[in-house]
Amino acid sequence: MSRTLLALSALVMVLAAHAGQPEVSVSDARVRWLPGALPMAGYFVITSHVSGPLRLTGATSPAFGGVMMHRSVEEAGIARMVHVGGVDLPPDRPVAFAPGGYHLMLMQPRQDLHTGEEVPVTLRFSDDRTVTVGFRVMGAQDE
Amino acid sequence: MNARRAVDRHARGLRLALVLLAGLLAACGDSAPPWGLKDISGLMPPLDFTLTEAGGGRRVHGGDFSGKVALLYFGYTHCPDVCPTTLSRLSRAVHALGTRAEQVVILFVSVDPARDTLAQLKGYAAAFGPGVVGLRGDEADIKALTKRYRVSYGYGKPDASGNYEVSHSSAVYVFDRKGRVRLLAGSTDDPDLITHDLQRLLGEDGGPPA
Repeated sequence: MSRTLLALSALVMVLAAHAGQPEVSVSDARVRWLPGALPMAGYFVITSHVSGPLRLTGATSPAFGGVMMHRSVEEAGIARMVHVGGVDLPPDRPVAFAPGGYHLMLMQPRQDLHTGEEVPVTLRFSDDRTVTVGFRVMGAQDE
Repeated sequence: MNARRAVDRHARGLRLALVLLAGLLAACGDSAPPWGLKDISGLMPPLDFTLTEAGGGRRVHGGDFSGKVALLYFGYTHCPDVCPTTLSRLSRAVHALGTRAEQVVILFVSVDPARDTLAQLKGYAAAFGPGVVGLRGDEADIKALTKRYRVSYGYGKPDASGNYEVSHSSAVYVFDRKGRVRLLAGSTDDPDLITHDLQRLLGEDGGPPA
């Protein structure tokens, strides 16, 4: 129940500067905390309401030295991470960055992060638009 | 996405219900009820290794965990997605056992000893709860152990800053209190299903009655 409420409260509607309706919405944005300077995974659900094709091409964050888009794949019982150059966002179809699949790899944290706080992450798209979203820091054991 | 997650949860609940129902039906007959996880009894050697425990820095052996149910998993700390997802699910499954949780140990063996110092491994294991033990060995130790359990791993090419990915088996081997291999869990298995099987293993001979 509370997860749903959290997800709903974390729902971020992003308004394009030139249009009166949301063109990209991001919800349930979160980072899984890990100790030290280890890379952490960022998860979220993103939906494009743009009528044409739109592609998520990358991300940056002032809280991290670097951000990459990755996808975990499991083949024949072997798990590995694959670098992803971009992810297509079909109109009005939510695309999930979720455990065991697409995720942001947030590297070299620039400060100590604490569970419950939010860190800004800027998502970059194929049409040069950028969208900045607050990612909630969740505990290592959370999903 | 909430709908998709709800469907996933529903499907997992249904699977658990089916396992419980099958168990109930089997209990009425002669055959043993099926396990929720994959039964691999006898397909792997007993739990045995000599590695350094990250928490206390001492050498430990497989036999030191005799009397406990042990979950053996191979990974590395620069693993932000699959390893934490697996460890958190295992940890939740064990936590759900309540007072019996301390009779289960999660053994996390690093296949990346070059980067995984004892201190780093200690912090990583602790992040997933007190029941997770980080284990480190030198390259020869890890080679021998992964060969013993037919676990494969490999290193990707380092990037400009020296970072590299590690591919590794997603298998979690479950050993009973006597160190015999019994079950195989994967990274996507539902914690409720794992808890169900762990409860049953804990109730077997070799431990206090359920």
